[in-house]
Amino acid sequence: MRGIFTPITKIRRQVFTEVAKFAFERDLGQSDFNFFYESSYRIIPGEVAIYRDSVFKERAIIRERIRLAMGLPIRPSGTHTPLTEGMADIASSGRLLEKPLVNIIPFACAACPTDRFQVSDNCRKCLAHPCTSVCPVNAVSIGRAAAEIDQEKCIRCGRCREICPYHAILRFGRPCAEACGARAIGSDALGRAVIDQDRCVSCGLCIVACPFAAIADKSEIFQLITDIRSGQTVYAAIAPSFAGQFGPLATPGKVVAGIKALGIRRVIEVGWGADISSLHEAEEFIRDVPAKKPFLGTSCCPSWAMFARKEEPDLSRCIAKTHTPMVASAKRIKEEHPDASVVFIGPCVAKKIEALEEEVRPWVDYVITFEELMGLFSARQIELSEMEEVELMSYASRDGRNYALSGGVAQAVVNVIHSRDPGREVQVMKADSLADCGRMLSLARAGKADGCLLEGMACPGGCVGGPGTLSLIPRAGKAVASFAETSPYRTAGDNPLSGAPGTRMDQTVNFTPGG
Amino acid sequence: MASILVEICAGTHCVMMGSMNIIDAVHSLEEVRAQGPDACEIQVRAIPCMGLCREQSNGPFVRVDGELIGQAESESVMAAIMKRCGGGREQP
Repeated sequence: MRGIFTPITKIRRQVFTEVAKFAFERDLGQSDFNFFYESSYRIIPGEVAIYRDSVFKERAIIRERIRLAMGLPIRPSGTHTPLTEGMADIASSGRLLEKPLVNIIPFACAACPTDRFQVSDNCRKCLAHPCTSVCPVNAVSIGRAAAEIDQEKCIRCGRCREICPYHAILRFGRPCAEACGARAIGSDALGRAVIDQDRCVSCGLCIVACPFAAIADKSEIFQLITDIRSGQTVYAAIAPSFAGQFGPLATPGKVVAGIKALGIRRVIEVGWGADISSLHEAEEFIRDVPAKKPFLGTSCCPSWAMFARKEEPDLSRCIAKTHTPMVASAKRIKEEHPDASVVFIGPCVAKKIEALEEEVRPWVDYVITFEELMGLFSARQIELSEMEEVELMSYASRDGRNYALSGGVAQAVVNVIHSRDPGREVQVMKADSLADCGRMLSLARAGKADGCLLEGMACPGGCVGGPGTLSLIPRAGKAVASFAETSPYRTAGDNPLSGAPGTRMDQTVNFTPGG
Repeated sequence: MASILVEICAGTHCVMMGSMNIIDAVHSLEEVRAQGPDACEIQVRAIPCMGLCREQSNGPFVRVDGELIGQAESESVMAAIMKRCGGGREQP
């Protein structure tokens, strides 16, 4: 359902807006969390069910989504737990996000059948019935009215479907499982989807694939807003994919102005951290490939890096040791402003997990998505198109800004390698889905990636295809590329800020986009 | 050739409620129109907030040749355009 606005998109955003509104307006001393009961009625009003069989069930699902948006676990459906359980705790303490990050709300799951082949009404019961001839396990037979598939015998090879002259055989699968490149989705005793947390790499693509809105991730918007309201200085680090996410009239300068209007002190481009990462990865490549490592994999996509570690533990040493752009940017901010909080704003669900890692925790306080940020804008009625354009600082080079696109990361690293070692040929392999990442790792295991730079990304098209985005992928890709061209620097090496640690943010050059 | 002006609100509330997807749907319509018999030109314009969402929160708001559509969805906007194009089928 990517790229189409459905009732699910609407509900998800309404939940973010409700939580943000509450967080911005609540009495900090004594908050009444029963507000969220009313929220469920505001989102699903009336007595007639619109989306499901029962309006009560619809509201019950909304309430679990609210809990997740508050960063809290969903409640067991078989025993009583108050909706507001745990809310007072997170209102008074710091970070409380705990794994699992991506959750299936069991009673929202439609328990879709797992992968199977079915005969549709298109079947003409034809004389040739090649479907029976090609089946290697004799599972297809001709019944009274149409071909029939014995599900017990079927091995799901799909040959009957390919051969049918009427396209009468359909593959019926679970959208969540099909979206999951890590093969982490199984079934519980009631046939509902469950996530195998050992396999899950939190890419979040099942969230946007489920047509029944049964999957959601936890959010930190409530904690972020509470931090802002209690007077804390908050810096935002915004991912390169932000260009074009907030509508055609919300220029990068206006988006930055909008974020500041939320009470955030300053907005830093993560493309800056991307430049720092490019320099390190280029250095690592020149130094270690092929002497110490047969190939080098990029490190910026946390789902890819986690996936590689889980699938091929022996090869994981070949994933660059570099800080990801998020961490590199946050680290620079905190080195200069140790008391400030840093929120990473991006398209990514997996970054929320990355921020929980031991070595990342000190630098990144909150991670929110573009879609969640939109909820904050909406709650504060911040009209982006009417904002005064702020003069942007150029923190990042063109190559750093292109990190958001599939192929952009490898290109940025290759450009640095070429400037350091002009004669060196670098072969690039890239993948922009976990399934393709898996195939790339198999090639690497077979020695077919030796000497290569491997760019792995979990989302289609790169970060612009992340589950936390608002814009259609091709449109977002164009916006990122044209924003990248406005940078006065071409490559990571050209960016005066990407050099030695301690380069101060204030040394950035002001420039007007396009000027 | 008939020309139809489609103005789609690109304010915060409307974008959140899916106006960007409507823009994409209208663009996709141009391809469908190119296959059909009637030629008409569709002009798409993203416009700033009209302020309607502050009184009544049923965005996104779209104007098709001046006719205001509230709680607009891809399907209602496309239908309004097709009607003006002399599209849909002529009733016999």
